[in-house]
Amino acid sequence: MEQRNKLWTIFIFIFVIAVLSLLVDIPQLPSWIPGNAWFSKQSIHLGLDLQGGTQLMFSADMSDIPSNQRTSAIEGVRDVIERRVNIFGVTEPVIQTAKVKDKWRLIIELPGVKDVNEAIGMIGETPILEFKEQGPDRDLTQEEKQRVEEYNQKAKERAQDILGQALVEGADFGTLAKQYSEDPGSKDQGGDLGWFGKGVMIPEFEKAVFEDLAVGEITKELVQSQFGYHIIYKTDERVIQQEAEVEGEGVEGSKIEIEPIIEVKASHILIATLTEEIAKQSIAQWQYTGLTGKQLRTAFVSFNPQTNQPEISLEFNDEGAKLFGEITTRNVGKPVAIFLDNVPLSIPHVREAITTGRAVITGDFSLVEARQLSQRLAAGALPVPITLISQQNVGPSLGKISVQKSFVAGILGFIIIVILMTSLYRFRGLLASVALFIYALIVMALFKLVPVTVTLAGVAGFILSLGMAVDANILIFERIKDEERLGKPLKAAIDDGISHAWTAIRDGNITTLIVCFILYEFGTGLVRGFGLTLGIGILVSMFTAIVVTKTFLKLVTK
Amino acid sequence: MSLLIFGLKPGIDFTGGSMMEIEYTDATLSSNEIQERLFYFEIGKAKIQETGEKGYLIRFKDVDEKTHQEILTALDDPEEVRFESIGPVIGKELTQKAQWAIALALIAIILYIAWAFRKISKIAKKGESWRYGLGALLALFHDVIILLGFFALMGYFKGAEINTAFITALLTVLGYSVNDTIVIYDRIRENLLTHSFKTMEEAINVSLNQTIVRSLNTSLTTLFVLLVIYLFGGSSIQNFVLAMMVGIGVGTYSSIAIASQFLLFKRTKGN
Repeated sequence: MEQRNKLWTIFIFIFVIAVLSLLVDIPQLPSWIPGNAWFSKQSIHLGLDLQGGTQLMFSADMSDIPSNQRTSAIEGVRDVIERRVNIFGVTEPVIQTAKVKDKWRLIIELPGVKDVNEAIGMIGETPILEFKEQGPDRDLTQEEKQRVEEYNQKAKERAQDILGQALVEGADFGTLAKQYSEDPGSKDQGGDLGWFGKGVMIPEFEKAVFEDLAVGEITKELVQSQFGYHIIYKTDERVIQQEAEVEGEGVEGSKIEIEPIIEVKASHILIATLTEEIAKQSIAQWQYTGLTGKQLRTAFVSFNPQTNQPEISLEFNDEGAKLFGEITTRNVGKPVAIFLDNVPLSIPHVREAITTGRAVITGDFSLVEARQLSQRLAAGALPVPITLISQQNVGPSLGKISVQKSFVAGILGFIIIVILMTSLYRFRGLLASVALFIYALIVMALFKLVPVTVTLAGVAGFILSLGMAVDANILIFERIKDEERLGKPLKAAIDDGISHAWTAIRDGNITTLIVCFILYEFGTGLVRGFGLTLGIGILVSMFTAIVVTKTFLKLVTK
Repeated sequence: MSLLIFGLKPGIDFTGGSMMEIEYTDATLSSNEIQERLFYFEIGKAKIQETGEKGYLIRFKDVDEKTHQEILTALDDPEEVRFESIGPVIGKELTQKAQWAIALALIAIILYIAWAFRKISKIAKKGESWRYGLGALLALFHDVIILLGFFALMGYFKGAEINTAFITALLTVLGYSVNDTIVIYDRIRENLLTHSFKTMEEAINVSLNQTIVRSLNTSLTTLFVLLVIYLFGGSSIQNFVLAMMVGIGVGTYSSIAIASQFLLFKRTKGN
């Protein structure tokens, strides 16, 4: 009797599990069931291949980032993209990061998003914001030196061409300067440098205006200086008397001398050339500082109190504020560059350490540009650049048909199992069918609760585990039949049958579980999904075959 | 044989490339017209396959999103049912990873079987249990080769491709076949431990007779279920289910005819 009670306890336990699973499985529960909200909330996660949607795979460029910070950088990318995708209202996006050897990947699944273009656009628009500091100097490579030379050669040709235009009778020097000059200081004034005396300009320039040119003349040849090629137009000359105090020791010796000083007025057009020094500075590698869009809390438009120009104010989170403080502390007097989408947006010099966690990007923004940029930044900025390497788009119609059809097929398949089992093993077969039904309920509930993303591969894993669950039952029944043939009483036959079948079930299932584990651990995407659903299925099938079928069999045999 | 003759058609999952499935609502371009219009894109030679009345499945080199949109425009903006573009690097990675996972899984199978059947070694010769592991593996190889061969045929005649779904089917069949083999081995083990047989041959024969009903029942049940899914499931999983059906049929046979016989094979040679 003792044993009988134990059996009933197990039976009730099975019953409770089955009912709970059923509650989880049913998509919409009537409201009188307690906790219906929670149960109804559990939904099955269909993979993209079943549901339709877009999968995008990006690779992240980590070449600038020290290896120990890469993991946090890719996590940053994921967080930002996640925020961004959420803003766009995609339901249940799956964003995963993966590292394959030394390559970093970001896999984004957007269920229900049909328009790949839109999806790529909405992710591709995510700005990449990085703060970089200057690395140590290095010498130019041969190739870089050559590039500098080529650049200078081109500059000379351009300058020659402009000189030709300037020397044409009646040419307007001011207009040419406005158009071509690369001297930001004088360009907008038509190249006009104003009045200046000797000793102000660089020697090459001075020689031209004070010695070679008469008023109203333009240089016939290009004048080369350290800045580049100048085309100089001497516009005026004057002599002013300046009082200069000549210092003397004695009171008597001190006198005031009047000295004539020649001043000239000139305009120029500058075509800038590169020196190796400049080139060195511009390539001076901007180094990753760890401060990126990841640590950005918000961004908004503000106005410079002096110039009234729109600026973009950035506010960092605590981590970012700390980093920014450190960066500005160690770079006082040096430039720090703010890179947006891989281009230096502004390179301010640090005057003093900033510990407030606020930074301002000044630049030549219009109000509209500033507003757009601040909105993009506020929505999240990436710490590293990413590029799209693979995309997959399954039309929802295709996905939907598959799910509906497969659902019908699944139910039909189950009916077939019931028919076959019952015809093969009569009443016991029917019991096994009930056990299998409970098995299916539990597996479905687990898929919802874990949650498992069900893909085609997942369905395959499920089918295989179902096959093995059926097999476990068949093994047990065949074994019981064997024992009966040996003339054992029914009860002993059931006990022995089950215990004999157990070793086969155990070895078969454990082998499969090992395989599942390996596939899950080492496989990617689909192989992994297969391993997971198969693994869950196998565990549940062992439970149903050994506990459920056994209890049922024992309960019905007195 | 068909594997050697026809070779396999690896899908874009492994080679990299693009696959575009399109459908026209009213006016349809002929496949020649599509070929012509695609000619100006640098996408290699496109392979075009008709699907249904107004649909096409087009395969070409992997492209970026811009080219993808241009192609769609060039084809008069059909409805795009599916588009995949996979860079060759990803394809290679996928292949490598799948190969690794499967190889590891196979090694684990041998190890576990050898361990589970270690008692056999006690009553028979030393190292005997390894034979079981190898036997199971041999049966697996047999299944895989037949399945691959079958798909080489399918690929040749019906354009079926070896894609990731096929790999899953392969895995399923492997799992199934191992299970099948283990059930038979388990019976042999039990019989060897409890009874005394004159020859190994007899032991195997008795065990096979005892398990054959179960093997057939299980396989039949599974095959029926798969058949139903094949007939009523969506078209996207038909090839996949077909591969499983073939694999399971072969798997049942190989467990009986190969895995068990292998236990004898070396023995008769050795004696």
